[in-house]
This record gives sequence, structure tokens and C-alpha cells, in this order.
Amino acid sequence: MTSRTDQSRRAPEQPPVTARIIPLHLNVELFASGLGAGITRAPRCDLEHVPLITPPRFQPAWLPHWPQLQTIGLEFPEASFLDVGHNDCIAPAHDTPCQPQSTTPTPSSQTPQRKPTRLSISDTALSISDRLYCLLQPPLESLLSGQELVMPFEPFPFQYEGIAWLFSHSAALLADEMGLGKTMQAISAIRLLLRAGHIRSVLLVCPKPLITNWQRELAMWAEELPVLPIEGPASRRQMLWQVPQAPIKIANYELLVRDFEMIGEDDFPAFDLVVLDEAQRIKNRGSRTSQTARALKSQRSWALTGTPMENRPDEFVTLLEFLRATPDKSALDIGQLNRLAREYVLRRTKDRVLKDLPPRLDRDEYLQLNPAQEAAYRTAERDGVVQLNELGESITIQHVFELVLRLKQIANFDPLTGQSCKLDRLSAEMEEIASSGGKAILFSQWTKCLDWLARQLEHLQPLVFHGGVASAQRDATLHRFEHDPDAHLILMSYGVGAVGLNLQFAGYVFLFDRWWNPAVEDQAINRAHRIGQQNPVLVTKFICRDTIEERIDRVLKQKRDLFNLVLGDSDISNVSLSLDAREIFGLFDLKTGHGADARSISPQEPVDN
Amino acid sequence: MNQPTIDTRTFRLGYLTALETDDGAFVAGLLVTNRFGRPLEFQCTSAVRPTHAQTLLYGATLRPFLLGELMGRALLDRLATAPDLLLTDNDAILELRNHVGVPMARVGADLPSNDATDTAPPLGRVRIGQRILTIHTSHQSDVAALHQGATRISADADLQEPLERVRQALEETLRGQQAGIASDLKD
Repeated sequence: MTSRTDQSRRAPEQPPVTARIIPLHLNVELFASGLGAGITRAPRCDLEHVPLITPPRFQPAWLPHWPQLQTIGLEFPEASFLDVGHNDCIAPAHDTPCQPQSTTPTPSSQTPQRKPTRLSISDTALSISDRLYCLLQPPLESLLSGQELVMPFEPFPFQYEGIAWLFSHSAALLADEMGLGKTMQAISAIRLLLRAGHIRSVLLVCPKPLITNWQRELAMWAEELPVLPIEGPASRRQMLWQVPQAPIKIANYELLVRDFEMIGEDDFPAFDLVVLDEAQRIKNRGSRTSQTARALKSQRSWALTGTPMENRPDEFVTLLEFLRATPDKSALDIGQLNRLAREYVLRRTKDRVLKDLPPRLDRDEYLQLNPAQEAAYRTAERDGVVQLNELGESITIQHVFELVLRLKQIANFDPLTGQSCKLDRLSAEMEEIASSGGKAILFSQWTKCLDWLARQLEHLQPLVFHGGVASAQRDATLHRFEHDPDAHLILMSYGVGAVGLNLQFAGYVFLFDRWWNPAVEDQAINRAHRIGQQNPVLVTKFICRDTIEERIDRVLKQKRDLFNLVLGDSDISNVSLSLDAREIFGLFDLKTGHGADARSISPQEPVDN
Repeated sequence: MNQPTIDTRTFRLGYLTALETDDGAFVAGLLVTNRFGRPLEFQCTSAVRPTHAQTLLYGATLRPFLLGELMGRALLDRLATAPDLLLTDNDAILELRNHVGVPMARVGADLPSNDATDTAPPLGRVRIGQRILTIHTSHQSDVAALHQGATRISADADLQEPLERVRQALEETLRGQQAGIASDLKD
């Protein structure tokens, strides 16, 4: 049967379907099967135990499995001979934290958000343990901030950096400008290395006058460290060198040389760290001092000096040899020296790191010689030059030096008349300084000149500090200069007073005559112009017009430029660094022969100043 | 488990953290310091890279298991100098607390500068030094131990800083391995 709609969709030619009924003629009967009752009845089940082949369990298709875990470790040694506990001053978390006992404004108060100082990884630290050792150390500030290691003052940021640098360098030349605290940085780094158990024996070598200064600084910055000065008769010194309990031994250069020869290189004790203070003392490679220092056996070698090169690059090379940064007798060009300086030298200058240090005001005071003084000077110069010219080719640098010294002495004062334009100016200035309660340091290269000045300035009661003053009396002299309000002037020789002393309470420095080396002059000036100075330091250099002093001043300026070339950032190409006696001879117009045959006299060999 | 106590005389801190490398491996390190932050011992694991199957099957529990239970416990077991307090900056590592008896806490953000000492931290947290520490929710008794330890830590201490050291050390170790430098550390 189809619907009308379907028909309308189909093709129109399909025939119609019709339905009709057809009878089948079949008989149908009903029978009872009984299945109806069976469906409603519960089925019957019988149970019996059947043993299983394997016990039943949950068997996942995956088990967690991790490979055997490997661990590696590093233990940090701790110095056993130092008591860590007695410096505890820890405050409860909610109380005021410990602070260093500072009597001066702390640098941190000036730069409160400063980044902590981390130990740098030395380029020579090749093993992973050495590198991790540095990386895992806490910031220096947290160690030195009065928690574990009591510091009398909080170091400046650049000092933290210096401590960290020394700590992580086994060969290091700390060449900070004088007055930036090389001693304190070295002591703090030594302290940390000792406390960390990294070193156990230290030898400090310094000039004899600085022994007490080092002892004082050690007591201030590392009070818990036992220090053993090497002193006394030879038999006692021999015993002291062998004392094992003293972590820090301190000796002067002269004793070191003597005892090293007495004990012998093989039997001389080895040290974990050797520190040379005023390391320019070993600049002359051939000297016994230099040979001894370079023969010392040590794992670490540090050199401290504000003047790693005073005259020639060779002096810097000798320091590098002490550090074992270069083999002995190396011939290095300026480029190589510059590269080694970047690797082994840390040098900061006050103008870069101590923005708050009062300025140093340099004043070149050009003076006219007094009449009698000038007459004496001109006579001496004329006669001296004549004598030199007469020597002709046999002239030596010694001859020239003798004349230089004689003329410089007359420029200081005329020995016959006692006239001195410098004294006149000094007296006038000292009156003003004394009346204002100021303190001044005067430097000269001659002890006789200093003694003469002391007599001339008797009304000022000046103190005298030079090689002729007994060692035992020197500390008392310095103490009086600092604390006696009537002590306004101290007269010092460059040789004794220029290094290692802290005289930052003095606001005036006079260079009565000029030293041959600008680095030594800077050292002298920096006795006053250093950390702790509260006022500007006025530096007066006396230079007599039309004298040898003016010519020397030009040489000094050239040497200052030389220093910047090797250790600074200046362009070092195409520059000759050779310094020879030519400059010394050049102070005079020396000629041999007469008339058309006259020719300039030149030195024969380089000169070691 | 008994309430942990701290020996304040020789108080040592353990700093546990982990790094994930670019190729999906994990390395963990544990630094033990004295209360001033000075290192006493450092242990670190070799790198472990979970397989794809492990990543899928462990799901969200992978890191707590791997960093805490597996690596953290291995490092703790290797230590010669046991810490009195374990600190981490990783929530997953805090899982280790369920498997060890050492009090643990997670180091949180530093305190607001004007809130350094005056305001008490929320419940379940303890201020030590300049940081707020959060303990494991299942180990509330650690709070008492932390309070004991807090008396031995300087108020200006930054407990996050040593964790940075550990991370740097782990990076250095990985760099050394990649560069083929033979390790001279003790196995």
C-alpha cells in the first residue's frame, strides 16, 4: 500500500498495487508446557572448592622505577684553633639586629641599598670544588657585619670588594692607592681564610718601622688572631720560625733575609700564605731581599703596594715573579704586562672610590731664592757644571747626582748664611696653622735639614721623626703628635715617614724638597690624605725658581705619566718606557770640548734610581 | 611523630632547592650552614630526567615525589652534618616533610619595609630574619620549632640568600658537567 504523496514522487508510469485476503485452512490447538511455574521458582546451585594454580593478586602492568640517585658533596673545613663562640652577639629576631661598633658614619648609611659583595671566582680556580667553595660563601657583609667577626668599623664597599678579591686569589697584587686601607683589607681576607680553614700559617713581611703598625692594625681588625713577631737574637729567632701554633708570623725584610740564609732554604718553613707589605722593596731582581722573597715556599702569595712600579716595568715584572704569575727573568712587552696587570692586580684610586674623602689640594709654591742663597746657588751650579764638563767622557751618573744633591741642599738653605726662602715661607704658614690648632707634616730627604729646621722652628716645638730617632721613641713621638694640642708640626724624612703611618688628623703637608720619585711623594702625602681624614688636605710643594728643582719637577711629571701607562687605561702603543740616566744628565747642559768641537755628554748605561 | 625540637647551641640550617634544566631534567642541592650563613656542607644530586610515562602516570604528584621524597631525602641521608631546620623556596620540596623528622618551612617573600618588626605573621607562619616562613599544613607542630630557631638568627638575616647560593652552585655544577670537567667532589 502506498500513499498518495508517495505516488506523486514516484515515476508516473508505475502500475498500481492492490491487496486481497486469501484463507489458509490450518487447525490451531493450545497445550500446557509447565514453563510458567519454572520461571518464578528460584534455581538450585551447588558449591564446591576448587584449588587455584597461583594465589589471586592485583597485577598492574607498570611499576614505578627510578634510577639510582647519585649525590656528590663538598665539606667546608673550619679552623680548629680559633674559638668561634666568643664573638656571638646575636639578637633575637624581633630585637634590634647586631651592628658593628662604629664611631664614624658608616658607608652603609650612605648607600643602604648596596648589592652584597660575593666572592669572585678566581680565574685560576679550575676545579669544581674550588669554584663551588667560592660560590657557596655568604656575602662578605653578612660575615663581617658584626655577627660572627667583630669589626671595629664597617668597611667601605670597595674594601669589601678588595677583601673578596684577595680571598679568592692565591696570587694577588693589591695596588690600591695609598690611604685606601690595603692593610685592613689584607687582614680581613687573612682572617676569613684562617677562619674558613683554608690557610693555617701566614708570614707577613714589612719594613721594620711598620711592624708595630701591623700589630696595631691586627689587634684592631682581627683581635682573636695570635700574632708572633720574629725578633730578638738569632737563636731565639730560629726557634720562633719553627713555632707551629702561631698562625701569623710577622718579620721585617732585613731579618727575613738574614734568617733565610741562617736557616737555609731547605729548612726554612713553608707557609700557606706569604704577604709582602710595601712590596716595592723587592723591585730590584738581583737584590738579596728580592731573591729571598721569591724563594719563599708558599701556596698563596700576596703583594701589597701602592707603587707596583716606581721607575721601570722591570720592577713590576719582579713582583709578578714573586706571585709566580710569570717565570723568573721573563722578558715581557707592555701588552703582556698590561694583560697580567688585569689578571693579578687590583688597583683603585681615591678619586674613584672615595667620593666623600675630603679633597687633596695641591699647591706648587714657587719661591725666589734669598739673595745670599741665590749667590751660593749660582756659584755652586756654575762651578759644578764646569767640573763635570772637565770630566768629559769619564763622567758618571754619580758625579751628576752629587751636584744635584748639593744644589738641592742650597735650595733648602744656604749653609753659610742660613738664608732660606723655604723656611721663611714655612714659618709664615706655620704661624697661621698653629694659631688655628692645625697640624702639619713636613717631608725632606735629609735628616740634617730636618734637624736644622727643628732648631730654626724651636718656638713651634716641632717633633722629629727620621731614621736617627730610636725605634722605641717613634711610637711615642707619633702619639704625642696626635694627642698633644701644642704639637703642630712633625718633621719627617721620606725614608721613614712616607710609608705605613696613619696621620689622617693632620690637614697640611709640606714637601720641603722633592723626592726623586713621585710615587714616594704620594706615599708621603697620603699619610694625611687617607680614610678618616675629615678635612681637605693642603699639600704644599716648595719649588725654587730657576733652579734644579724646577727641572726635577718636569722629570717627576714624566714619571707619573709612565706609571699610568702600564697600570692605567692609557694608550700604551708606540710609547717607550725606557728610563735611563739621560734624564739625569739632561738636568744640566753638559758639554765636552770647545768651540766647534763641543758636544753634549751622554750617560753610558742605564741607571737604577 | 614527636614534636621536633631544636638544639639552639649548635643551630644549623639546611637550604634545599632544585633546578629544572632546559631538557626537563631536575637537579637538587642542599647546603648546610651555621646560623650565620657560613657553609658547612653541600650536597647535590645528579640530574634526573623523568620519562614520558612517569610524567603521565605521576601527574601532579611528580614534582613533590621527585624533588621532595626522592631527591630531598637522598640528599638529607648523605649529609654528615645534619641540619636542625630545613628551608626551601619550592612548594613541591615541602613534601619531604612527610618523610623526615626535621622541621621544614618554605621561605616566602621578604617583609614590607615598614612591616619588619611590628606585625605578627598569619597563623601557621613564622617570621625569621627578614622573611616569612610557611610550614607544611600537616605539620603544625613545626611552628614551635621554628620559634626556637628564630631566637638564634639575626634579625637582619635574609634566609632567601643562601638558596640563591645553592642555585648558583647547581648551575655551576651543570656547566661543569656540560663542559666535560671531571668533578672532584666526593661521591
